[in-house]
Amino acid sequence: MTITQQLRPRSRPTTAARTRRDGLTLPVRIGLRLLVPVVILLVWWALSRSATSGYFVPSPLESLRAVGAMFLSSDPGRLFLGEATFTHFVPSVARALAGLGLAILVGVGVGVVLGVFPKMHALFQPLVHLGRSLPSPALLGVFFLLFGIGDSPKIFLIAFSVVWPILFNTIDGVMSVGEVRSQAAAVYRIPTRLVLTHIVLPGASPKIFAGIRTAMSMSLIIMIISELQKSDNGLGYLLVSTQRDFDYPGFFAVLIVLAVLGVVMNFIFLQIERRVLSWHRGVTAQND
Amino acid sequence: MTDTTTAPTTQTIPELQLDGVSKTYGTNLAVRSITADIPAHKISVMVGPSGCGKSTLLRIISGLDQPTDGSVSFEGKTVTGVPEGLAMVFQDYSRSLYPWMRVDKNVAFPLSKVPKAERERRVAEALEAVGLKDRTHLYPWQMSGGMQQRVAIARALASQPKLLVMDEPYASVDAQTRADLEDLLLRIQRELGITVLVVTHDIDESVYLADHIIVLSTPPSIVAETIDVDLPHPRDQVTTKADPRFVEIRGHVASLLRHKELQTGEDRP
Ligand SMILES: Nc1ncnc2c1ncn2[C@@H]1O[C@H](COP(=O)(O)OP(=O)(O)OP(=O)(O)O)[C@@H](O)[C@H]1O
Ligand SMILES: [Mg+2]
Repeated sequence: MTITQQLRPRSRPTTAARTRRDGLTLPVRIGLRLLVPVVILLVWWALSRSATSGYFVPSPLESLRAVGAMFLSSDPGRLFLGEATFTHFVPSVARALAGLGLAILVGVGVGVVLGVFPKMHALFQPLVHLGRSLPSPALLGVFFLLFGIGDSPKIFLIAFSVVWPILFNTIDGVMSVGEVRSQAAAVYRIPTRLVLTHIVLPGASPKIFAGIRTAMSMSLIIMIISELQKSDNGLGYLLVSTQRDFDYPGFFAVLIVLAVLGVVMNFIFLQIERRVLSWHRGVTAQND
Repeated sequence: MTDTTTAPTTQTIPELQLDGVSKTYGTNLAVRSITADIPAHKISVMVGPSGCGKSTLLRIISGLDQPTDGSVSFEGKTVTGVPEGLAMVFQDYSRSLYPWMRVDKNVAFPLSKVPKAERERRVAEALEAVGLKDRTHLYPWQMSGGMQQRVAIARALASQPKLLVMDEPYASVDAQTRADLEDLLLRIQRELGITVLVVTHDIDESVYLADHIIVLSTPPSIVAETIDVDLPHPRDQVTTKADPRFVEIRGHVASLLRHKELQTGEDRP
């Protein structure tokens, strides 16, 4: 419940009308948006020049150069991408997406069943709460034991860790579809399959999307954690190995790539949400 | 019921019969015993004080709920599930329509088993009948409340019902829209000849719409009286409501409702 409560405000998409309503002119808004990043860069730069931390903190420019050296190249045949992109970035992102995809399948599937059948919900609720409260990163060892080495323990750990917000939001969303809508479906003898695909899922979709959004950012964190040990590739592995080799520009380069990855994934997600939930924006705008 | 030889048989057989229907929620006896006939091809209006079990009765009639005792039969068959040929318009249009579907999709959705060409024709006809044929590509939330309720009515009509039940269909729209929708219902019922059962707690509306009024008492409810309304068609918001006969029936229904309330000591305006 607390998850969905926290999520509700964030699940409200920021519409054009909304940003216009803040009453800021374009230059002011852009200026405000840039303020915090500029301050961060300045602090970072100051730290890199300080006598005490300067050794561990490379300058922003140096870190950016490391990003270029590691993740980019001048070879058009490799799409201008560097070695680290292929050996670390792609496997990491693939595992995160596989884990997230699995979590979406399981979370939405199980969530619909539990949301539609109150008895199943009552039956499995204790189990669901138990699963959610397990400290999943600490279970990595168990997952290695269960699924061997390689990609699968990591994918399953990511899926297991991020499935909960999707599951809870789906249950919540299915229950929020409303009695009158199900009665209307019953009166008009809508076949069960269509009720599921055209009433239950769309009705629950605003909440499901909110759950997936949380799960997505969690999946990147768990992705890193799962690569910190027993790994020979991945961005998490690269964080460990650059530190071990005292390659601080490399370490910061990975952090930059992670930040960009988070921003890009969030952007793509918002684009998809915007298309799928355009009706929901209209409904909430009308009721506001 | 007297059989006149000239009347067509369809007129004499009630479409829907309630036989001693009662409903208890836990220990709360909501509906004591309702016995009523809903005549075919007419508009029947069920009127009663708030909480007397009107929505409960409609749910039972449409097979969404079971009576604690008694039975409902539709075209002579006991209702156990949602009867074929029944359509329902809910009070709360914003909750009964699907906001993720455009208007035409909302109306077409119950017709998934109907061949595409016929489905499109029926949707177009239904939307035309409610005056929304050029609004088919809007979403419900882009429309006013009255327009949304028209969509709900179109959805019901497109399913070509024999029996149309409506639960306080006009309770959440403004007075002018309400009058328009009342006239729309009267016109459509005359055109299609379907059987309509409307629930309302508005006395004026009940008399204006009805060929037949069933007045319910306060809960646990029984039928206080049934009244045949012989006001001429087509009806008109101004002239019909000024008709002395209208005023008389209206006063009678009001006194029935008031009387029943006084009896149970409830204080209502
Ligand atoms: N699902 C339910 N569980 C328990 N009690 C119920 C339920 N539905 C209705 N009731 C009770 O049954 C009685 C009749 O309710 P109902 O909604 O049918 O009345 P109504 O005539 O439609 O009222 P209104 O005019 O306010 O819509 C009320 O006392 C109500 O509290
Ligand atoms: Mg009611």
